[in-house]
Amino acid sequence: MSELLALLFFPAGLSLLAGGLVYEWVDRKLVARLQNRMGPRWYQPLADIVKLLAKEEVIPTGVNKLLFVGLPIAALAGALTSALYVPMFGLAPSFSFPGDLIVALYLLSLLTLCTGLAGSNTTNTFSLVGATRTLTQMFSYEAPFLLTLLGPALAAGTWQIGGIDAYAQNHLLLLTQPIGLLVALIGLMGKLELSPFDSPEAETEIVAGALTEYSGRGLALFRLGKNVELVIGLTLVASFYLGGLANPLEFLLKTGGLLLGLSLIQAVMTRLRIDQTVGMWWRYGALLVLAQWLLLIVTQGTVS
Amino acid sequence: MATQEKGRKFIVPIGPQHPALKEPGHFEFTVDGEIVTDATVRLGYVHRGIEKATESRSWVQNLYLLERICGICSHIHALAYCLGVEKLAGVTVPPRAQAVRVLVAELERIHSHLLWVGVAAHEAGFDTLFMYSWRDRETVMDLLEALTGNRVNYSANLLGGVKIDVTDEQSDAIWRGLDFLEDRTRHYLDITTSDSVFLRRTRGIGVTTPEQAKRLGLVGPTARASGIWHDLRVDAPYAGYADYPITMIVSDTGDLETRFVVRIKELFESYRVIRHILDTLPDGELVTRVPRRIKAGETISRVEAPRGELFYFIRSNGTDSPERIKVRTPTMCNMASVLALAVGHQLADMPMILVGVDPCFSCNDRTVVVDQGGARGGWTWEQLRQYGIDYYRRQP
Amino acid sequence: MNAESTLTIAAKLIEAWTVETRTPEANRLDVMVDGAHLLEAIRVLVDEGWGYLAAITGLDTSVDSGVMEVLYHFCEGAAVLTLRVSVPRDGASVSSICGIIPAASFYERELREMFGVRVEGMQGPKHLMLPDDWPEGLYPLRKDADLTMKEAEANGDSREG
Repeated sequence: MSELLALLFFPAGLSLLAGGLVYEWVDRKLVARLQNRMGPRWYQPLADIVKLLAKEEVIPTGVNKLLFVGLPIAALAGALTSALYVPMFGLAPSFSFPGDLIVALYLLSLLTLCTGLAGSNTTNTFSLVGATRTLTQMFSYEAPFLLTLLGPALAAGTWQIGGIDAYAQNHLLLLTQPIGLLVALIGLMGKLELSPFDSPEAETEIVAGALTEYSGRGLALFRLGKNVELVIGLTLVASFYLGGLANPLEFLLKTGGLLLGLSLIQAVMTRLRIDQTVGMWWRYGALLVLAQWLLLIVTQGTVS
Repeated sequence: MATQEKGRKFIVPIGPQHPALKEPGHFEFTVDGEIVTDATVRLGYVHRGIEKATESRSWVQNLYLLERICGICSHIHALAYCLGVEKLAGVTVPPRAQAVRVLVAELERIHSHLLWVGVAAHEAGFDTLFMYSWRDRETVMDLLEALTGNRVNYSANLLGGVKIDVTDEQSDAIWRGLDFLEDRTRHYLDITTSDSVFLRRTRGIGVTTPEQAKRLGLVGPTARASGIWHDLRVDAPYAGYADYPITMIVSDTGDLETRFVVRIKELFESYRVIRHILDTLPDGELVTRVPRRIKAGETISRVEAPRGELFYFIRSNGTDSPERIKVRTPTMCNMASVLALAVGHQLADMPMILVGVDPCFSCNDRTVVVDQGGARGGWTWEQLRQYGIDYYRRQP
Repeated sequence: MNAESTLTIAAKLIEAWTVETRTPEANRLDVMVDGAHLLEAIRVLVDEGWGYLAAITGLDTSVDSGVMEVLYHFCEGAAVLTLRVSVPRDGASVSSICGIIPAASFYERELREMFGVRVEGMQGPKHLMLPDDWPEGLYPLRKDADLTMKEAEANGDSREG
């Protein structure tokens, strides 16, 4: 009995998947309303997943079957595992150890890696171009994104997510590291391939990018993984920069606010070409974060 | 060696079914990384044999057939045909009818250009502009529906005139609609020339110099965005355009941004002309009589469709159906430029460059004969049904 | 400059190769040209910058005459100059003008597919408009094209897949 309860309410369990679907719906609905559309009904993401799970999974010829089936599972598993170290829904992280921030971040990247691999596993030209773009994009946003999340860690003096969260509850890092918040939020959009960073899955060029050949269960798992990553990403950013997550109410308000910001950016931007994305990250994103880091190190040095 | 070379090529197919294309066409872009090194095209997926079909139909029936060449610029096809046939028959169309023809043609241009703005924005990944411009396009669709009864394929033309009249209420409604649209269009002009992220996808992309444009034989707004002074409404005024003159919008930058600017500025010109027509609509008859048999002869009818010069060659042998109707649509001229421009650009720019000429595959693919197994071959409904059953029975 | 004087200029330019001229209606000039001199006439027009190629029309008026016509329409403002080349129905062929006017490529490919006029020196794959499995030697816009489907073929295996 207690195990069943654990399965339901354990942060990385069904509740997290459900949370992912809700956040996806909120995002889609917000963007739709900003674009003067009706948008989906509240149960649409769930209906999509159920439908996909019920559908036949077509395995195209010329792929490595083990990889084709295994990659979506690994992607979702990675996203779910990283939730263990994050204060989901404003609750304390399930597991914690010094340096778990690094582990969580790497687990989050697993989804992108799996997507890239899944694309290059097929012989479809759209998938191959998509995979190349996915991985290229990963190399461009990953470093700045990592650095922005290490900024609060540096300020807090610990690389333990729980510790940073506790520190952030007393120090509003939004004020001391505003650039960090901005870059982290935009990095998250790059990670999730949201507009304007959706060139890896630009439908007018390469259909669905790396996942073009996926249908049924595989696609459902990838989408769930992405939804979960959206929640975790928002949680991390909210926890680090918006004064920590002391309780579920704070979690809802802060991540909801961030999601509104994400939707706004999505609605007003044109898709960037992959070279523009890379150029932007290395020319501005990385430099800005490095500047902030320098500032941080200098001020910390003088304070202590 | 040749086969090896081919094996190493990385070809990205776009079409015949592809999210970038709302109509079927097939493009193959050979890419080196993200850079396109070669491009080919295959057309004909919506080939319906209309040119051949006209030869076995009467002059009146053809009016309805030709109007259905294109779902967007349907009125202009019918208009070109009517003008040609009227010229052959030697009849003079009443001025009120000619004015109404121009009125509908310009409303159609508004609808077509607004549609293009949306599609082009969508290709660039700017869906918000797409949604907004299509929402506003509904205004002009509603006006056309109120005026003619249809949202597309308005069927406003008759041989010898028009079948619709403009009442005072309709006139008022059009005035109100245009006021709203003008306001919105100003907003779109502002966005497409000032949104810095959008400009990164349009400014300096797909530049066509006037020399290139001339060499490639571009027509319409695409050519006018490359500094070519061609607009049949000005060069060779047809229907009522002699009474309602148009100012040509030309710019010679030739990139995608300019194509947006030229098309959007043409919208203002359309608004102005429509108001002019509504203000000074001549009284009189709407239609004049045209004989059933058209005198033998040949004529050429050229009109300015929303996408550029539309060319009709009509030959009559004195019977009640034409001997030959040749349709050269603007897309036919502009399509070649897509292939020429593609090389050297990024794959990500391809949808924009492709849509930049405002291609209309249905227009392009019009000619020739019903499909091999089609009605001409005498398939009955029963045969078709049986064929379907057999086909699926044979499947494993 | 009005259309009449524009056409006069054009008529002068290609006078050397003109076989016969006609004015079918206002603002138009039809010039019969021998197929052998077509390229020279067009080159002069292009070199002098007279107008642009608006279309190429194939014209098959009757089976009995034994000839078809290929019409090259050039436009300048309101003026339309048409070069008419007569070709025999059997073994019809004209020279490709793509070397002079690259934009003519699509028109020439269409002409070949629809009328079976061989275009000498034309580049590009076989089909532009018609399906790849279109029967060899069936040119749909010719007046004698037999476009009825044979029953056996219609029900046959060729349409599978």
